[in-house]
Amino acid sequence: MSDFLPFVFIGLTSGSVYGLAGTGLVLTYKTSGIFNFSHGTVAALMAYAFYDLNTLHHWPWPVALAVCLLVLCPLVGLLLERIARRLADAPVAMKIVATVGLLVGVQQLIIVRYGAALIQTETFLPTNAYRILGVNVGANQFIVMAIALAGMIGLTIFLRTPTGLRMRAVVDQPDLLALTGSSPVRIRRQAWMIGTVFAGISGILLAPTVGLDATVLTLLVIYALGGAAIGMFTSIPLTYAGGLTVGILCSLATKYVASVSWLSGLPSSLPFIILFAVLVFAPSKWLADFTVDRKAKVVESRHLPRAVKIAGGLALAVLLFRLPDLVSTRLPVYTSGLAYVLIFLSLALLIGTSGQVSLAALAFAAVGAAASARLATDVGLPWLFAVLLGSFIAVPVGALLAIPAIRRSGLYLALATFGFAVLLERLVFGTSLMFGASSAALTAPRPSFASGDNAYFFVVLAFVVASIVLVTLVHRSRLGRLLRAMADSPTALITSGTSVTAIKVIVFCISAFLAGLGGALLSPVTGSASAGTFNAFVSLTLVVILVVATAFTGGSEVLGSILAAAALMVLPSYSGDGAATDYQPVFFGLMAVLVAMSAAGMRAPNWLVGPALRARKRPDRSPLSARVASRPQPEGAA
Amino acid sequence: MSEELRSDQTEDLTEVLSEARVEGLVDDLVDGRGLHVRDVVVRFGGLVAVDGVSLDVPVGRAIGLIGPNGAGKTTTFNACSGLNRPTSGRVELFGTDVSHASAAARARLGMGRTFQRMELYDRLTVRQNVAMGLEARLVGKRRLLGSIIATAGERREVAEATDRALERCGITRLAENRAGVLPSGQRRLVELARALAGGFELLLLDEPSSGLDPSETAGFAAVLHSVVEEDGCGILLVEHDMSLVRAVCEYTYVLDFGKLIAQGPTSEVLESDLVRAAYLGEEEVA
Repeated sequence: MSDFLPFVFIGLTSGSVYGLAGTGLVLTYKTSGIFNFSHGTVAALMAYAFYDLNTLHHWPWPVALAVCLLVLCPLVGLLLERIARRLADAPVAMKIVATVGLLVGVQQLIIVRYGAALIQTETFLPTNAYRILGVNVGANQFIVMAIALAGMIGLTIFLRTPTGLRMRAVVDQPDLLALTGSSPVRIRRQAWMIGTVFAGISGILLAPTVGLDATVLTLLVIYALGGAAIGMFTSIPLTYAGGLTVGILCSLATKYVASVSWLSGLPSSLPFIILFAVLVFAPSKWLADFTVDRKAKVVESRHLPRAVKIAGGLALAVLLFRLPDLVSTRLPVYTSGLAYVLIFLSLALLIGTSGQVSLAALAFAAVGAAASARLATDVGLPWLFAVLLGSFIAVPVGALLAIPAIRRSGLYLALATFGFAVLLERLVFGTSLMFGASSAALTAPRPSFASGDNAYFFVVLAFVVASIVLVTLVHRSRLGRLLRAMADSPTALITSGTSVTAIKVIVFCISAFLAGLGGALLSPVTGSASAGTFNAFVSLTLVVILVVATAFTGGSEVLGSILAAAALMVLPSYSGDGAATDYQPVFFGLMAVLVAMSAAGMRAPNWLVGPALRARKRPDRSPLSARVASRPQPEGAA
Repeated sequence: MSEELRSDQTEDLTEVLSEARVEGLVDDLVDGRGLHVRDVVVRFGGLVAVDGVSLDVPVGRAIGLIGPNGAGKTTTFNACSGLNRPTSGRVELFGTDVSHASAAARARLGMGRTFQRMELYDRLTVRQNVAMGLEARLVGKRRLLGSIIATAGERREVAEATDRALERCGITRLAENRAGVLPSGQRRLVELARALAGGFELLLLDEPSSGLDPSETAGFAAVLHSVVEEDGCGILLVEHDMSLVRAVCEYTYVLDFGKLIAQGPTSEVLESDLVRAAYLGEEEVA
């Protein structure tokens, strides 16, 4: 027993922080219907701000703490409320994209400002130890537990006060609440400020334990999520208890797996396992979904004149054929870009066409990359077979991810896909099934007939062209119509006689194949496949870049994928000092927030396409709507 | 469509209807091929939204379901079409017990529906929306490959059904517009056309006239008439516009607080003091 106790106390301490973070997250989610993926990033931001003031600028810690929690947190909370308010009418996919964009952008801002390296900080709390049940427990641990407990109890009591009751009412009946003279905006503002303060406290309390690391602290939200999932995303006390459970389980798991090397990824994966299990297995009625799904505004599509299309296509073809001569040594960057076009196409098929937000694009790419590299090197299959077979191995993985997609949609599907991506990365990437335990990368050969840079560029180009044709065929086929119908109104589709289960499985499989192919073609550019390329967080960046790029191209998924790949791979190679690489996620993250706020789905918002196009888009100016307006009644009435 | 279907003439039409067809209706209701709901109870937590409702919708008849807001009409609809599962009771469709069947399976048996808050595929064109009514039914009956590509025969079948449904609802000229850009009156018609294209034998229509102006409503009534008379379809109509119920439905059920409080030939039900005073209000009936 005494062996476990130290771990229980460690777990209680970290679990308290998860619980506190989780309650803040649930509060804002319940009151605004916006699930803040960037909750952990906000926590990280506050931890860094505290470090900046306290350590770098030598402010006394109480002052630094007060500035962080009483000034910065409320300000950030106000900003988040403004964003959340503008997102109220956005489709659920865009609500997810917006806060994922914040996560990506703000996390990168922190990295640009403070560096990506881990910074160890001292705790500002007293550390003298007390002996409890034969275990040394630091005063700081008690203080952390006490703060979290007080925060949870305080919030629970607060929600029973008149203001708190209004906060609960704002969830159900904002309009009714407004009639009673309470402003829903003011109440939501308070909720966001409280939620952000909770995030800030958790970040500041957690930093001395895990160190300052923007990525690790951002993951706090997932640890908190494990707890929130136990609380079914609604109950504040249960979320807190869930956080404690996650903390204790992780801590105990650390003790258990210390001697078992292949389980080394388990402790840090536990919150994801809990999250994934709850999302997949919990009965639907337990999981309250506060996300209000609004349909994207639909506008009549603008078709470019055929002559322009043909001329553009020809120019592009000539350009691509001349590209190896034009860009000489930069060609591998373009080849990687082409491989990413496939990954973006797979993502666009899910998010754009089918309305299924997947945050796991690179997980499939990783499977394709690892499988094809092993098939080519270890098994010795001919290159083409290795690549195709490797990509097909990603298909059952895609089918696996279709299981949560069948049970859930919208927010909870997005969370499940992210949990899945992280689990795959932590539990499977490092095994001999995929990249192997050693840090050495797998050898990813090029085909014998195209070992040079130029030749390989054209090989990848051929795959991309074939895939674009495939995706276009999908769009035009019955499947394409079914997918768009499923995205727009699954209810209508079901009551017309189609079960959406099969359609979801099909689209996840196609998407997994395309992403797997992208991964399989990407690795041979550098000649090696390694886990680092397929980091789960990069999948988040891909989603925001794709959404922004697609908006820029007026909603075209194919053009959007090409533009996204260019923005991701090609553009940064032209900036000498790396500034473009640094600021790229910041730009796209924040742009994604703006695009999502325009409530136009993945189409170009008005401010982006410019006034000239906007005038043409107005339905009342089109000759057709003029005709409709003059004859509103059906023929039978006349 | 004929002149006499104008809204100011619908009253006359109703009387003809009830005299000519009410006889034999009661036998039809219970014994006829169609939808039979028995003692259905739907609970949401502690709230009993539908409390022991029984109703019958035979093919070839138009049946009304009325009642004030919150009476449980839409919940009853959802229990019939399979979007929620009744806590107890039995739903029988064309002789098959479908109480535990999925919504898709019930649709494949031949029951379609529309929604109070229209459920259209906004990004698809009107033609694609309407075609999906039949396509979704065909896909549901076929294996995996059927959800990817359509056979030539299917394509022809879908195109014919689509053209006919567009024509009947008078929205052929809107066919190439995206459904998402249309005003709500036209969206109602698109939803109806989609249900018609599906070739269902039974249609559940949830407040189809809300958002329509009076002349559009009259046109709507005309379409519903032809669906019942010519196609022999059965219709269950939830409606707030009593003139439409009067014009279309031969028999009407009245729900309040989840319970059936009255039923009978439409004109009698609408004249009933109980229904008038308590649930409809003088003005609406007048």
